[in-house]
Amino acid sequence: MAKNQTTPNKISKQNSKNRKDVWYKLDLSAIVYPTLQRRDFSSVYRLSVVLKEAVDPELLQKALDMTLPRFPTYKVAIRKGLFWRYLEPNNRPGPFVKEDIKNPCMPMHFKGNNRYLIRIYYYGNRIAFEAHHCLGDGTGGMCLLQTLTAVYLGLLGHPIQPEGFVLDINQNPDPEELEDAYMRYAHAQVCPPRPAETTYRVRGTKEPFYTLNIIDGILSVKEVMTVARRYNASITEYLNAALLYALLQKQSSDFHLRLRPVRIALPVNLRRFFPSKTLRNFITMVYPFVDPRLGEYSFEEIVEHVHNYMRYHINEKMLRGDITTNAATQRNPLIRVVPLFIKDFVVRTFYTKVQDKNSSAGLTNMGALHVPKDMKPYIERFDIYMGQPFSSRTNCAIISFEDILTINFASSIVEADVERYFFRKLVQDGIHVKIESNRDADPVI
Amino acid sequence: MSYCVNCGVELEASLNKCPLCHTPVMNPRELNKELPPSPYPTDKGQVEVVKRKDLGILVTVVLTATSATCLLLNLLVFDSSLWSLVVIGSCMCLFVFSFPAIFYSKTPIYLSLLADGMSVAIYLFLITFLTDSDRWFWNLGFPVVVLLTIFAELFPLLSKLFTLTILSCALCIFLEIPAFCVSLELLIRHILDDPYRITWSAVVLTVCVIIDFALITILAKKRLRNEVRRRLHF
Repeated sequence: MAKNQTTPNKISKQNSKNRKDVWYKLDLSAIVYPTLQRRDFSSVYRLSVVLKEAVDPELLQKALDMTLPRFPTYKVAIRKGLFWRYLEPNNRPGPFVKEDIKNPCMPMHFKGNNRYLIRIYYYGNRIAFEAHHCLGDGTGGMCLLQTLTAVYLGLLGHPIQPEGFVLDINQNPDPEELEDAYMRYAHAQVCPPRPAETTYRVRGTKEPFYTLNIIDGILSVKEVMTVARRYNASITEYLNAALLYALLQKQSSDFHLRLRPVRIALPVNLRRFFPSKTLRNFITMVYPFVDPRLGEYSFEEIVEHVHNYMRYHINEKMLRGDITTNAATQRNPLIRVVPLFIKDFVVRTFYTKVQDKNSSAGLTNMGALHVPKDMKPYIERFDIYMGQPFSSRTNCAIISFEDILTINFASSIVEADVERYFFRKLVQDGIHVKIESNRDADPVI
Repeated sequence: MSYCVNCGVELEASLNKCPLCHTPVMNPRELNKELPPSPYPTDKGQVEVVKRKDLGILVTVVLTATSATCLLLNLLVFDSSLWSLVVIGSCMCLFVFSFPAIFYSKTPIYLSLLADGMSVAIYLFLITFLTDSDRWFWNLGFPVVVLLTIFAELFPLLSKLFTLTILSCALCIFLEIPAFCVSLELLIRHILDDPYRITWSAVVLTVCVIIDFALITILAKKRLRNEVRRRLHF
């Protein structure tokens, strides 16, 4: 481990003086992601914004060069210490904007791309930002993407006033933006146990390496809201229930000797409950589930079950307990002194054998996005992809802007059964769904 | 605007079949209409990965074949001496040297340097079968290889412990050179049964000590250090 960690306060003072002394510990969530790194897998997520006019790559590069220094925890390279990995400032040339590719969220090798852990793409009207999850979560990434977009629009002659997710690139980073906020709030007096039960796992034909199948559903926020209200649920609860319903249908249509519970891994943005401006990871997982072994669930029952589960689990007390459980391992002095390669082996084994089997699919909802008033006329919509799943399953990510709600499915398997059951359920409920996909880019033979 | 007849979803204009159920999109009135381009890129990206596997197989096959054919030639045709050991030894050294670059890039530097030293020692040992005596190997060849390996291992160790700049690298090199030269002269005197004292290596030692003091002074004085960095930057 490096000798001295520079505190955020110190960072701002030293910002221009001696970058070599600055380094960052990985936050509590970020510790896991590099451990799972394989030749064909990285924990990479993608956020993209669709503008109303075509993107100029040269201006975008200029905007990126102006924006990135404002986000010091994204302009970094990851390094190995004896006990933990850490991030250090990366002053190599880049990152450079590139034309977008068919297979987003492809693996990100730590020594490639001049050691940068972010990628910026453009394609038509779209600006896409990909980041390794060890740098930060979707909220941090969205701050960078919106600030980049605002700077880009500014260079086009449409000045945008910093507000909300758009930060002022002329200001020094707030020390709170660089903090590991978990450690500030992980102070519950008990550590509640984590759920650990093998759940139903989607079986499918694995796509060849470097393939990420995307199916995007574009919906109207108002329509979804109306339907969700009909079930006395929020949009997240309704869409969670629809995904659980789709997974239940998929399980019953598959060959199975016995049924298993169906569980969704749902990241919760902790900033809603614990005030922090951090741009790094500050999320925890909750796992809404239904157990078909208890009997057949109607959709209404699933919605009610999810609604109650969310009410019980997503509150300040329960979440504090959850992050305390996660922090306990990192705080344990016996675990801290174990060399990194042993930690890597143990964490990878635990994740593969327990954690990955703990959920049937992933679903994240970034909620309704707000952009500064001056920026609205230039934005069509936002997209979010959870990236390549660790095992053969589907990840679903939801984001909304104005009246457009986008549901983005990403998977590495050929079959699209879960997506089909999911969208058919929405259509049955009277929601108009428009589908876009990269699956059918090749002509039918 | 097309809808999937099975799923009821609207399909983006460039899709020619439903991505959810693979039902083809067909409008009898617009059979010959060209589809607009997809909103998604069509080119696949590739991570910058050096495909070393094939190169590794090739290197292994070439080196093994060279060693085997030379051995056969030595045993069956040109059998006056064991000359093939030189070829086999050099093939082995090449294989060991290229191992971290071609086969396993994550090999720890200490381990690969140790393996390099061992392979050179084995190579020299094989040469002893071509000479009258192996005394030169045990009294000079082997200790020199051990010394060189230790000095080589010290370099990454120091760079791990301290941040090595160009100046501090130079300091390390000018500390190691005299140490090696003095040890080498003593070993040569040992094999020649001469009394232990230093002559030519003392000259190297003196020059290097002067350079070392100069480097330490530059490193200690920030102003001097910056001046040298500015003038020698590349």
